[in-house]
Amino acid sequence: MEILQIKDLSFTYPNTDSPAADGINMTVNQGEFILVCGASGCGKTTLLRLIKKELSPAGNLKGEILYNLDAKGFKETASAFDVGFVFQNPDSQIVTDSVWHELAFGLENMGIPSDTVRRRVGEMASYFGINEWYHSKTDSLSGGQKQILNLASVMVMDPKILILDEPTSQLDPITASEFIKTVYSLNREFGITVIIAEHRLEELFPLADRVAVMDGGNLIFYGSPEKACGALKDNPIFEGFPSAVKIFEGTKDLTELPEGYQCPLTVRDCKKYLNANFSHLSGKEVKVISPEPANPVIEAENLYFRYDKNLPDILRSMSISVCENEIMGILGGNGAGKTTALNVIAGAEMPYRGHVKIYGKKIKDFKNNSLYRNMLAYLPQDPQCIFVKNKVSEDFEAALAALNGKNQNIGSEIERISEELGISHLQNMHPYDLSGGELQKCAVAKLMLTDPKIMLLDEPTKGLDAVSKNKLISLLRKLRSKGMTFLIVTHDIEFAAGICDRCAMFFDGGIISQSAPNEFFSSNRFYTTSSHRACRDIFPNAILTDEVIGLCRGNV
Amino acid sequence: MSAYSKLHPLTCLVGYLCILIPAMFIKNPVIQLTSLLGSVLFLSVICDRKTIGSDLGFYIPLFVLMAVTNPLFSHNGATPLFFMNGNPVTLEAVIYGIFMSVMITSVLLWCKCYGIIINSDKIVYLFGKSLPKLSLLLSAALKFIPELKRRFRLTSSAQKTLGQYSTESYTDRIKRMCGVFSSVIGWSLENAVEKNNSMKARGYGMPGRSNYSIFKMTAADKTISVLYIACLSLTLAGAFTGKLYFSYYPTVSGIPDSPLALASYFSYFVCAMIPIIVESEEAIRWKYYRSKI
Repeated sequence: MEILQIKDLSFTYPNTDSPAADGINMTVNQGEFILVCGASGCGKTTLLRLIKKELSPAGNLKGEILYNLDAKGFKETASAFDVGFVFQNPDSQIVTDSVWHELAFGLENMGIPSDTVRRRVGEMASYFGINEWYHSKTDSLSGGQKQILNLASVMVMDPKILILDEPTSQLDPITASEFIKTVYSLNREFGITVIIAEHRLEELFPLADRVAVMDGGNLIFYGSPEKACGALKDNPIFEGFPSAVKIFEGTKDLTELPEGYQCPLTVRDCKKYLNANFSHLSGKEVKVISPEPANPVIEAENLYFRYDKNLPDILRSMSISVCENEIMGILGGNGAGKTTALNVIAGAEMPYRGHVKIYGKKIKDFKNNSLYRNMLAYLPQDPQCIFVKNKVSEDFEAALAALNGKNQNIGSEIERISEELGISHLQNMHPYDLSGGELQKCAVAKLMLTDPKIMLLDEPTKGLDAVSKNKLISLLRKLRSKGMTFLIVTHDIEFAAGICDRCAMFFDGGIISQSAPNEFFSSNRFYTTSSHRACRDIFPNAILTDEVIGLCRGNV
Repeated sequence: MSAYSKLHPLTCLVGYLCILIPAMFIKNPVIQLTSLLGSVLFLSVICDRKTIGSDLGFYIPLFVLMAVTNPLFSHNGATPLFFMNGNPVTLEAVIYGIFMSVMITSVLLWCKCYGIIINSDKIVYLFGKSLPKLSLLLSAALKFIPELKRRFRLTSSAQKTLGQYSTESYTDRIKRMCGVFSSVIGWSLENAVEKNNSMKARGYGMPGRSNYSIFKMTAADKTISVLYIACLSLTLAGAFTGKLYFSYYPTVSGIPDSPLALASYFSYFVCAMIPIIVESEEAIRWKYYRSKI
């Protein structure tokens, strides 16, 4: 049964010429799991908001969206309660201060009497495992808990269609995959129609019944995920597809597959495919050039840190050294203290024992901000934090003026850096109007104004799509070739494997192991890239899809 | 969580008023001492030792200060004890000072206790009864304030590591702070738009909104409320008939001990002890149930 029908839908925002959605036709069946993907700015969010009538943006709308929610035929409208919507940012969609009130909020709006509300809220809270923190303040929850609460407080209204707009982009990978599993089980166990937009395709691809791929406001593909793989091979969106798909598409011409062989979507199927077709290459290794030891520029020894006298240690005897001109990655679980470690190294927090040396000089010996001038720059997790003015260019000017005084040639300096990073066209934008990738670039540019030798980055790939991620990688490589040193804290295993010279594992308040990525990830069984999980039987130290494809083709 | 704070918000509010009205308006030493005794006992039950220790350090000097100030400035009273700078320091003024500080300290302590008992959930509920919109607004504000604080901390720390604060100059630092503050305000407006979307998406603004709360009026809540009101009525009856009248000036009168006054003392004592009784009843019950495990 069809539940949603979109006919010739076009939408143009006011004061723009090109449509954000252009001639979209799609139907969604009852109980389907639809994945909507595409690069940032492709019109995903616009489409999702048009489906949820209450959030329809103002603009010029043509075409129709029809709902068939009770199997009695198509209608033009759906009530606010039949279509549930979960937003991207876990924090800003929470309305009230207590968890129980947040869960009841939608039901209050429906005008449901207290006793029924109590029963339905209780039921939802136990289904989502909220009982433990039912009486908590929403402010005290972790990001993952917040997003589960958002999902639960939408589900409590018993929607027929659940729409999620990049719900996991602000979560770490483990929390994100738990969240996706919860959504998937809602779909499987209760038959709720799910329409989800995401950048994180690795996990969602195998789960989706159909994939809708958008590009420049057009729906360029709508069909099963297996078919999407072959059809979109040359589209930039392919960068974000699961490793299994990329390996398959990169190597299938070397094999003689039977007609109609389905593209593998999961690590399991990819492993089967590789073992069946490439076992004769077994044992081949990627040549790893181990970096020559250079002089260390960040030396942290025996750091101990806690936020308050009575709280437990976050850092316990943590030591790390980063060499000149290298990209070092710190990986580790959620809430392990990686960000705290970075804060301490950046001098934003002071350890109660141990010290950090930058270029051989202790942090406290850098007087009067000299640490943050021509030396060290720190990009926090939320890059919006570093902008304080209403325009990117104004912000840059103010920052430079504060650093160097007004007599410097500010304009030319900004121009030089903007051109180098390719953000000249963004100078007149408000920082909040930038997309994730653009914001990240502008933030790096702002850090570059201080002309740093060392840059610390906290989760730089949070919320970025595959294309922006690749752009960030090439940007960081370019800056490194000019002599800069990077220390990056990240959850993103594939990103770390692709860019780092050395990776370190943060666990239990300190660094427990560090080595070059190929060695680091190939000695891990679980905490490693999906390409490596798929190929480890044949190629013991390949960790990137390109490496696997290269080994299969014999040109590494 | 204390047993008393599990009571219904309305019962808590009734208890609060029943204890405060006599304590503030009846100038009778017995009433005031009862109030102080009740508040100290209650505080010692619901707070941990550390807080009590630091509270003592605040309230005892305050008590002494208030008690000493009155005789120094007020020279009424018929019994001079000694002369200071040619002014009499009278026995009556000393006694009045002591009882004023008993009154003020006990009121402060009760307010502290009920500040702990009546948390934001209960406040939102109490307001929501009469003004549902206001209760939602309150709840949203309570969510928003910590968010704003965190944002401010993040932004200013990010600005610090960008070298935007010159550590020397105060005016510079204040200027930067203002910049951070205005950006945080901008962020909060942006945030408000998203919050509004989220409210709309969940059907806010549809007619016939109901008001849900996790609180349920139980039989115990009702009994305690009735007991409170009965006790208050009896105490007030004593006060309005003048049977509790006590004068400090020009000479200290005797403590009223008519039957009605005694009944009033007793009923106020019950009022002041209800919180402790609720707490210890719960503790005893718990011990009893645990002995059966």
